[in-house]
Amino acid sequence: MNCYLCDQQLRFVPSWRGIFLQELPEVLCRECRSGFLKLNTSGCRLCSKPGDALCRDCLYWEAHGYQDLIESGISLYSYNEAMKNWFHQYKFLKDVVLAEVFASDLKEILVKERATVVPIPLHPGKLHERSFSQVDQLLVAAGVRYSHLLEKCGETLGEKNRQERIASTDLFHLNGEAVPKQVLLVDDLYTTGTTMRHAAKALTQGGAKDIRMLTLIRA
Amino acid sequence: MRPMEAFLTGRVWIRQAFPFSEQELQEAIQQNKAQVIAGITDAGECRRCLERSQASIIAYYCATCNKVCRYCRTCIKMGRISSCTELVVWTAPTAKQIGPRVFGWQGSLTFLQEKASQAISASIERGSDHLLYAVCGAGKTEILFAPIYEALQKGLRICVAAPRTDVILELAPRFHQAFPDATIHTLYGNSPEQNGYGEIILTTTHQLYRFHEAFDVLFVDEADAFPYSLDPSLERAVKKARKRNAPIIYISATPSKTLQKNVSEHSTIFRRYHGAPLPVPSYRALWNYERKIHRKKIPVPLKKWIEDKLQKKQPFLLFFPSVELIDQAAPLLKAIDSRIEAVHSKDPDRKEKVLRLRNGALLGLATSTILERGITIANLQVAVIGADHRVFDAAALIQIAGRVGRSAADPTGDVLFFHDGIAHQMDQARQTILSYNKEAIT
Repeated sequence: MNCYLCDQQLRFVPSWRGIFLQELPEVLCRECRSGFLKLNTSGCRLCSKPGDALCRDCLYWEAHGYQDLIESGISLYSYNEAMKNWFHQYKFLKDVVLAEVFASDLKEILVKERATVVPIPLHPGKLHERSFSQVDQLLVAAGVRYSHLLEKCGETLGEKNRQERIASTDLFHLNGEAVPKQVLLVDDLYTTGTTMRHAAKALTQGGAKDIRMLTLIRA
Repeated sequence: MRPMEAFLTGRVWIRQAFPFSEQELQEAIQQNKAQVIAGITDAGECRRCLERSQASIIAYYCATCNKVCRYCRTCIKMGRISSCTELVVWTAPTAKQIGPRVFGWQGSLTFLQEKASQAISASIERGSDHLLYAVCGAGKTEILFAPIYEALQKGLRICVAAPRTDVILELAPRFHQAFPDATIHTLYGNSPEQNGYGEIILTTTHQLYRFHEAFDVLFVDEADAFPYSLDPSLERAVKKARKRNAPIIYISATPSKTLQKNVSEHSTIFRRYHGAPLPVPSYRALWNYERKIHRKKIPVPLKKWIEDKLQKKQPFLLFFPSVELIDQAAPLLKAIDSRIEAVHSKDPDRKEKVLRLRNGALLGLATSTILERGITIANLQVAVIGADHRVFDAAALIQIAGRVGRSAADPTGDVLFFHDGIAHQMDQARQTILSYNKEAIT
């Protein structure tokens, strides 16, 4: 097997853990893997941004009508050069198989999760165009069960600037499924947190009490 | 020729990115001139790059066609192709434009160049493949001008493919000058769109994926790695882009044994255009260089060599076997002189640094094997640190030596192999260079 990113041949290293614990196979070479930078938990308590216990973006939301809407949150990786390249190839070149790159990270963190895992959905038109949902696919690769509770309304944030993003009107409505008390929202990239706040608002209105969030990357 | 025919002849294009109206396309389909085909065949082969290995053709549940679909990873950087992607191809034959053309090249060839040039023309005439085996600095591009000019007048469609964008960009102005009335397209990753029917296509080997039975004659430059053992898809790309039985002219300074055996017609030039012999590598021991550099020390013999070049104001390249070693050595080299920089393949400033070395702003450059070919700097000196390392095979070492003494004004220079024990490939490279020089005299 070759590295998914640089196509260099991978050396297979057998291990007892691999045999007995059904670990997911490594799909990158050591060099490509070492390019990604994990965030530690000392930063923002909602999005893991390095620095204060509450980053500027999250502070804004807490002060503008979204206080305590989200219990806690975590992002796994920083948006560095290696991550930008991976993200581009995965989401925009649509290299679906790259979802496996972070499968074991997500599996590890979600395997004992008791809340309902709710991925941020794509707009149906966008889904048809992209041919896959990049958030769902990350969870599928990790073997994690999830439920869709939300539907995306018309607009996307992609082309918007910071002010426009933060000021957007409702982005999601509920899809009619019963909303459980505990929810873990999952998204690929956390930029200003707008998407997550809108999703959390819709879920709270539907009856969710304890909402946490997980994003793969903190920009 | 209508614009769509000019664009599409010999190409394979994704329908969604097709630059003509749906109505025009439908018309062409009805007249049996164009066809729409599925991106991946039922057997699981990519119709653009002919990939079919299971590791590269990936099945997944597709939300566009709502069923399990396959996509190709091999050519994904050119826009993903999946089972439900539609490709447009032109199927009607194209009329040849025969007639006299303008030839804008007025240089002269040496006796050997002239001989090779005529041999290539004869091979094209017969429709057989040809290998131009010529040392670094033999003046290979000039040799091609006359055969290409003849092919142009016969209305043949010509392609010159090279593995790297730098080479294509360097060729383009010379071709525009040599063939001023020809439509020349220059293709590489993210190259600008070019209109009309390209009579001469200068392209990176990768872009050949987008062609299908397009060319009457194909020149493959820097074909040393051919057949591309590391990336068989490139070999497929070359074969796919030519019309049936169209001749391929391979050009290389270090052709593989396989290539020499597979191509029956050869021309060889072992003498540089300026007539001086190739610089012969010398050896110098640099024991435990890896450990010394790791301990933040540039080994003394290397330091002396660098200081000698600095004093003589000669630009130099230092080839290192690994990026890690470059990273470790870079600050140490900078401490010797701040005008010594380091580059490697992922360096975004790579081109700029080479340019600065060329114009004298930098004195030396530490590099991985990426600069082993294509680079021409007057009075350049080179040293290989760890020439015994396995990344430097004989062909790479010959290419590295070929950077030196390229200009007629300074036909000599240092090629120094620093080693931690002489390896077979070093001897092989040296013997080969010596044999070229010997044959060049006779």
